[in-house]
Amino acid sequence: MEAASKLALFEETVLPHLDAAYNLARWLTRNEHDAEDIVQEAYMRAFRFFDSFHGGDGKAWLLAVVRNTSLTWRRREHGMAKVPFDEAAHSPAEAAASVESRLVEQARWGDVKDCMELLPPEFREVLVMRELEEMPYSDIATVACLPVGTVMSRLSRARRRLQDCVTGRMKGVAL
Amino acid sequence: MTCESARNLAGAYVDDELDATLGAQVREHIAGCDSCAELQTELLAMRGGIREHTPYYRAPADLRNRIRAAVRNEERQADGHWRWLALAAAILLAVSAAWNVSLLRSHSGGGDAIAQNILSSHLRSLMGTHLLDVPSSDRHTVKPWFNGKLDFSPDVRDFTAQGFPLIGGRIDYVADRSVAVLVYGRRQHVINVFTWPSAATGGDKEIEHNGYHMIHWDRGGMAWWAVSDLNIGELRQFENLYE
Repeated sequence: MEAASKLALFEETVLPHLDAAYNLARWLTRNEHDAEDIVQEAYMRAFRFFDSFHGGDGKAWLLAVVRNTSLTWRRREHGMAKVPFDEAAHSPAEAAASVESRLVEQARWGDVKDCMELLPPEFREVLVMRELEEMPYSDIATVACLPVGTVMSRLSRARRRLQDCVTGRMKGVAL
Repeated sequence: MTCESARNLAGAYVDDELDATLGAQVREHIAGCDSCAELQTELLAMRGGIREHTPYYRAPADLRNRIRAAVRNEERQADGHWRWLALAAAILLAVSAAWNVSLLRSHSGGGDAIAQNILSSHLRSLMGTHLLDVPSSDRHTVKPWFNGKLDFSPDVRDFTAQGFPLIGGRIDYVADRSVAVLVYGRRQHVINVFTWPSAATGGDKEIEHNGYHMIHWDRGGMAWWAVSDLNIGELRQFENLYE
């Protein structure tokens, strides 16, 4: 790819998704400064590996880079080993709250942001991509390196966890 | 469809990720099942709750400019890296030139100092430091350029028609004197032709060394040396043009 056209194509297909990149990074890091650094680093990586982008939607491709950059970042900052996410370990242990109490609790979503931030990042990212970015499962699968079926089941668990958290906080407030 | 299946598919259903057939089955089930209808309402309420009460973090205004600047800078540096690579290649060539010359010296038993000088000069000229003093394909420009710079006037010819275009000339220092160097091209190859006034120098000779060829001949009271990485056949063809 010729240098000038590579730059132009990059600015045309990848740069427009800056908000999505920042939003994902911000939710994954829960910190605005880290998010900025990650997004900038991700864009540099994306530019270096732009030859591996074979057209199509630049958003999923870019978000995959952002996600990887932020995983690297997290391991570097916190010395975390790369542990595969255990779906089973994060299944809700307690029985679902009664339908009546849930109905009441839905009146209050004020804590949903806190609850989202408390979710394990593997749940948080699929919720952000689905509910805030409104991405199809296939794109989420691309970004998170998951089979589409796993995206579906993980989203389902993430939603249950979020519901439980919001419900729990409601009870806390009520008490 | 069972309640359990419908509950498992409810998320994908509200996400509009089910194919038409499956979607219709879930819709049908929900229509007749209070508990599943409840779940659907919850899921939609959660969606509304998330979208209403969680921020969509937009990138700070200056981040876009910073990224654009950084990417452009990266692009320039990438160009720079190529320049560094080219320089590294030139240095490598210089090292290999020194190596070649020392090999040549050992091969010729220290006898042919002129051949060593010429090969060194040829290699130095290719390092991009000093190939041409007078870049011109016009022999009527090149020949007069030597006037007053040398104590002789070299025979400058252009062989463009024969596929060896004249590129230009320079002055170099070989065999303890200033000499004229005429530079010719052949595809991507460079031929340096060294010439200076000289009496008998021991007849024609060909030297091959590590992929470089040198041909020496005497004509018109001048010593001539042609050196190139061109194959010997084409270099002989070039020499014959002078005959």
